Amino acid sequence: MLRNIKAICVGGIVGLTMISCELEQEVLTGVTQERLLNEAPPELAEVLKQSAYSRLLNDGSWGSHGGFYSYQEISSDELSIPVKGGDWNDGGIWVRAHRHTWNIDDGGLNGIWDVPFRVIAETNSLIQQFPDVVELSAEMKVLRAFCYLVLLDNFGGGVPLVIETTTDANPPSSSREELFNFIETSVLENADLLTRDNRRSNFNYWNAHMILAKLYLNAEVYIGQPKWTEANAMLDFIINEGPYSLTPNYFANFSAANSNSSENMFTLPFDANNAPGFNIHHMTFHYESQKTFELVEQPWNGYAALEEFYNSYEDDDLRKNNFLVGLQFASDGVTVLRDDAGFDGDPDGVDINFTPNINQLEPNAFRQAGARVNKFEIPIGSQSNLNNDFPVFRYADALLMKAEVLLRQGNAAGALVLVNQVRQRAGVDPFTTLTMDSLLEERGRELFAEGWRRSDLIRFNRFGSPWWEKPNSPATRNVFPIPLSKIQGNVRLTQNPGY
Amino acid sequence: MDEKLTIKPKTVFFKTTNPMRNYLQKMKVFLMVTAMLFAAVVSANAQSREVSGTVLDKTMGDPLPGVTVLVKGTTRGTNTDLDGKFTIPLQPGDQVLVFSFVGFSAQEITIGNQSVINVELDEDIQSLQEAVVIGYGTQDKKEITSSVASISSEGFNKGNFPNPQSLLTGKVAGLNISTPGGSPNAQPTVRLRGISSFGANSSPLVVLDGVIGASIDAVDPNDIESIDVLKDASAAAIYGTRGASGVILITTKKGSTKKGFSNVTINTFGSAEQATNLIPVLSPDEFRARRPESSDFGNNTNWRDEILRTALNGTTNASLSGGFENTSYFASVNYRSNQGIVKNSGRETLNTRLNLSHGALNNRLRMNVNLAFTDTEANDIPGDALLFATILNPTMPVFDNSPEGLLNGGYFQPTGFDNNNPVALINTRTNQTKVRNALYSYRAEYDITDDLIVSAQFSQDILNTLNGQYLSRLDGAPNGGRNNNGIAQQNTYDRINTVISGNLRYEKEIFDGLNMSVLGGVETQLFEERAFGAQVRQFLYDQSWNNLGAAGIRFGNNTNIYSNAAKSTLNSVFGRANFNFRNIYFFSATLRAETYSGFGAQNQTGYFPAFSAGADLSQIFDMGPFNQFKLRGSFGIVGQLPPSPNLAQSIFLNGNRILLDANDINTAWVAPLQTTNPNQFLKWETTRELTFGLDYALFDGKITGSMDYYRRNIEDLLFNVGVNVGQPNPFNPGGSQPNYTAGSIWANIAGLNSSGFEFLMTANNINLGNGFTWTPTAVFTVYKRARIQDIGTGGLTLPEIRRGIPGAPGVNNSDVIRNIEGQRVGDIYGPRLVSIESDGTAVLSTTTPNEFERLGNALPTGDFGFTNQFNYKNWDMNFLLRGSWGHQMLNSFRLFYEGDGNATWNSVITKNTPTNPVISNAPEQISDFYIERGDFLRLDNLQIGYNVPTRSSAISNLRFYAGVQNLFTITNFTGVDPEVRWTDTLDPMNPDQLAPGIERRSTYFVPRIWTTGLTITFK
Repeated sequence: MLRNIKAICVGGIVGLTMISCELEQEVLTGVTQERLLNEAPPELAEVLKQSAYSRLLNDGSWGSHGGFYSYQEISSDELSIPVKGGDWNDGGIWVRAHRHTWNIDDGGLNGIWDVPFRVIAETNSLIQQFPDVVELSAEMKVLRAFCYLVLLDNFGGGVPLVIETTTDANPPSSSREELFNFIETSVLENADLLTRDNRRSNFNYWNAHMILAKLYLNAEVYIGQPKWTEANAMLDFIINEGPYSLTPNYFANFSAANSNSSENMFTLPFDANNAPGFNIHHMTFHYESQKTFELVEQPWNGYAALEEFYNSYEDDDLRKNNFLVGLQFASDGVTVLRDDAGFDGDPDGVDINFTPNINQLEPNAFRQAGARVNKFEIPIGSQSNLNNDFPVFRYADALLMKAEVLLRQGNAAGALVLVNQVRQRAGVDPFTTLTMDSLLEERGRELFAEGWRRSDLIRFNRFGSPWWEKPNSPATRNVFPIPLSKIQGNVRLTQNPGY
Repeated sequence: MDEKLTIKPKTVFFKTTNPMRNYLQKMKVFLMVTAMLFAAVVSANAQSREVSGTVLDKTMGDPLPGVTVLVKGTTRGTNTDLDGKFTIPLQPGDQVLVFSFVGFSAQEITIGNQSVINVELDEDIQSLQEAVVIGYGTQDKKEITSSVASISSEGFNKGNFPNPQSLLTGKVAGLNISTPGGSPNAQPTVRLRGISSFGANSSPLVVLDGVIGASIDAVDPNDIESIDVLKDASAAAIYGTRGASGVILITTKKGSTKKGFSNVTINTFGSAEQATNLIPVLSPDEFRARRPESSDFGNNTNWRDEILRTALNGTTNASLSGGFENTSYFASVNYRSNQGIVKNSGRETLNTRLNLSHGALNNRLRMNVNLAFTDTEANDIPGDALLFATILNPTMPVFDNSPEGLLNGGYFQPTGFDNNNPVALINTRTNQTKVRNALYSYRAEYDITDDLIVSAQFSQDILNTLNGQYLSRLDGAPNGGRNNNGIAQQNTYDRINTVISGNLRYEKEIFDGLNMSVLGGVETQLFEERAFGAQVRQFLYDQSWNNLGAAGIRFGNNTNIYSNAAKSTLNSVFGRANFNFRNIYFFSATLRAETYSGFGAQNQTGYFPAFSAGADLSQIFDMGPFNQFKLRGSFGIVGQLPPSPNLAQSIFLNGNRILLDANDINTAWVAPLQTTNPNQFLKWETTRELTFGLDYALFDGKITGSMDYYRRNIEDLLFNVGVNVGQPNPFNPGGSQPNYTAGSIWANIAGLNSSGFEFLMTANNINLGNGFTWTPTAVFTVYKRARIQDIGTGGLTLPEIRRGIPGAPGVNNSDVIRNIEGQRVGDIYGPRLVSIESDGTAVLSTTTPNEFERLGNALPTGDFGFTNQFNYKNWDMNFLLRGSWGHQMLNSFRLFYEGDGNATWNSVITKNTPTNPVISNAPEQISDFYIERGDFLRLDNLQIGYNVPTRSSAISNLRFYAGVQNLFTITNFTGVDPEVRWTDTLDPMNPDQLAPGIERRSTYFVPRIWTTGLTITFK
């Protein structure tokens, strides 16, 4: 009996020893924090820096469906996603996006929030990790400022200001002024430290000023105080000092090999293999357009331009090639594409004909209706991700912004010169007079599908106006609501007024 | 005390781990040896009178060696020799001989004047059934005070059931086993007492012959002796952090303990399967009448006929079992071929097993080896083929021999979105999975003293999975092989689970009438896993997935390469004490402590205690017809591991590819990124469960059964909860990445409360006259569905989790399932259909998701199973009626295809569409119109058997049988299968437990299965 007790005791001791040992979890896949902090391969800082930028390219970004870009375009008078008998209904979120009746729980809104914030997460970490690499910190602070600009533009206040020293797990909403000042200070304090090298996919001394130009241009919208003088100064600097010029060919800026465009100032360097995400061709073209471009995958037949917007282009405007319209052919140029499932009543029958007119937004838009986005070059045989770099800041935009500032400051003649530079390149007659309305239209024609239309319409006080399949909307819709899931993830966020 | 009695008896018997049988064995071995000793002494005094005879096995007719023959009331006796013969000298006054043998009912024979006594001993079924496997040992059923169900092979479902889980469907109260559709490759979803977790494993832990977490593939159903289900936390607590979803203990067949005895059993059956319950669709002519002319392709095609077949399947099990000197063995080979009813789908499995037991050192040392190898090859067809076979335009042709068509393999390729030829899909796409499993387990037990036994077990479960897929150059689907010139991929997943375990058991009557058994043990479990995969495209020649090197494009779209590995350790100490006072009062206590490397550094060790107690009141009071009236109560705490061991660690995995110089591929790197937000506080889920039960027996055991009421409270639910990217991560103090970089984090986030009532009743062998007997068994369960409590931790709140998106076309971004704090898991939300306008437009109560109403719940409120066994002479019949009720389901086929609004597809015909569709523009919006009740009653399986009387010296048993599965289903559900959908299978690799109740359009057709077979045993 004693022996038994002894055996039990020994067993118990062995057992307790096993339990009391802390078990180290061996990491076989991935890099531990210790290694990341203690081993620094020579390329690490640069790879991490580019990684922070690259997160701008992921889901919901410029040129992809479902988040940020969709809301910029669909909520404007440029594009819509007609609902084709249930196809593209998607719980009505794109109809609501177009009519400005979005709900706080519409899933796509999360994308507007996440695109900038996932970049902010990485910039904060880099600023913390490499405090001594001044240029890197400076560049990350500018990139972060750009992200907050996007957030300020879309959500106004309501966005929490998270920086590298923030530890509060539930940071409260900031005011518009706080965000405005933070963006302004970040760029002003750091731009001088940035490289003069005109690398378009990163922020540099030149394009960093475009952040400020956009900030000041919209200052009246953002904080209720116009800053036309400051905007003018920034744009002057960019136009006079910067290494930028208009390319002779408008479409060179959107070609599949547009990395060296002298006009593109800040781009997202999409790459079919290394940096996927840009798939405007899938978003807009008809299923059967796969045969036109010999695409590896089938497009989705979604985004189509509003007829009125399409018609705002003169017929001889070279930029009218921003759209794909008319009877559609296979890549042989002869075989007419067929949609066997055309609706009863589609006047084009089964042959696919992209008509600028769209019979209705929902529920039974014709499957072939609407001019499609063809601004970006789609080489034959394209994969589902494109190689074109997406221009976020473009010199032509800077020229038109400057024109706008001048016009608002009363210098219509100066503005006219700038606008006509842009019109001349497009092959249309120069304007002889310039109004705010015609300037807004010109911005639309020039910057179609580049993601700025919503912001422009707000600044021109036209976002609430009615247009096709969209009634008047209240001014509170000039910013999106803080998405429901974000409020659920941070109880200290304050919902925007009107939601 | 006589010195001789304390000597450990020399015995030839194998000692099992079953205490009940141990008792029997010990007692009998003891008796036998003593008898021998006395016999030796007594025989020296040469008596005048003796009795001799032969002892036979009544069932098999074989001589039984080693049977103890004892003169009643004395210690004098002998045992039978190899031929079953005995001779025993008698003394005056000897009146009765007692014949006893392990596993057989003892028999008493009055000697009278006989000098030859021949005896046939009957197998003691009762004693086999009474031993219940409870983990690290067995317990007599009457002593069990927690909620445990035990089903032996006779009680299993009968028919073509290729996996062990489905043997139990409808047999155990509280255990829901659901296999929607009839794919031969579908694994059942098993839920014990409903949903038990959000994000962690909700399937019960499988313990196969003591091997924890063994692959279910490792055992063929035919080799299973019994299955025990530990239902409540009190019973499962001995398995600590792995027991929260219940435990299924599988015991395989053993060799015979009879010396020099062997037999061969062959069981073989064939089955024919045909699709049943196909959703009605428009015929080609009806289609033409309703659709525009442009939709008429001029053919008449029944697409389902084109891909369906009568599946002819065969299964053969051959086993050899027997025993010789101190050794027993069971060896088996099992082959199963199961074609699916859809062409090109199927599964073939070859399983072999060797169970070997040996006793040494006078059987004080007992060794056990179990080896099992399984080789499975599965062929799957694309789920889309099942959808298109139902809804593709029936006027389209199957084949197209034009030059363009030949580029699609000669198959007609429809144009447009979501429109494919199912015949082409199943013929131009290959998806093969080869699974190899080796399970080996070694166990040794040694009796240190009569009361103290030490045992050790080492086991390894090795699983190798290889999946290969190929989309042919002739696959003309829009995103298919042709546009990619062939896409090939190979994926491997290998896992090794190692368990090293040791324990001490001590059993003793500590004082008069109070028996105690104590168990203490330690265990280490090592989990290793590794995966690798590659996908490439662009082949000149189709070469299936055998030659990835032949692909020209290995980078970019539709290509992939990855590998990963993980390793973790779980250390445990456990103990259990059982007390039995005079078979009236019972008490049991368990404690397990576990340390897991995958828990956060802040929370590495968990303690899981359990208590249970019971009293058989029929032993205290006169309770009339009751032979047993055991009231019991139990409480326990069990846990659940996180789904991956690395979630607590700050690990940087693979972020975006970075090309430092856009023009130089040599500058490509992959950025390190925390793709999972670390949580240093991550720990186990904690399940507390209280069970009150009653085990009863009436009329001398004619009626037996049990009832259980349970309340389950789960805390610290593991869940991958959404967080705001970019906000500081409070769960990773000191981390170098201060902000969330991913949109979600694994955290212990919420609670779940549920309760239920379980009922079991069996009436044993009701005599219907003329030898016709009936044994009905009824089980049912009433669930109170799990209610979600307190979602939120550390500043995270998540008042509701929305899931379950019906999908394209047009029903993206519209989730139908909401899991809301304070409400039940699986609530279905949507608008109500107010009216349908004359043009077919649906008017809904609202289109604003925030105003949606609760339309129902996707989880069942009850299950039942009604098993009936009839015996008449050599005939027997067995059938199971079962069903579930209370669950509601989204009928996806109706949602998408009930209307005529889109000329692309065919329409399903329902009571809403006798001539014209009710809603012209489906799919537009989810509403209550498409939510249907899933209540069903199904004749799950029926079998009739005939045992041929045999006098052959070579054949001991010959049985013919025939049966049917899924003979009929009574339900109002108009989809494919009303079976409960516990998880959403849209992504079969990641079933979503928070989106139950959606019948997806890729649901495999349901077969009716006719089976006929025979079992023959050679001796």
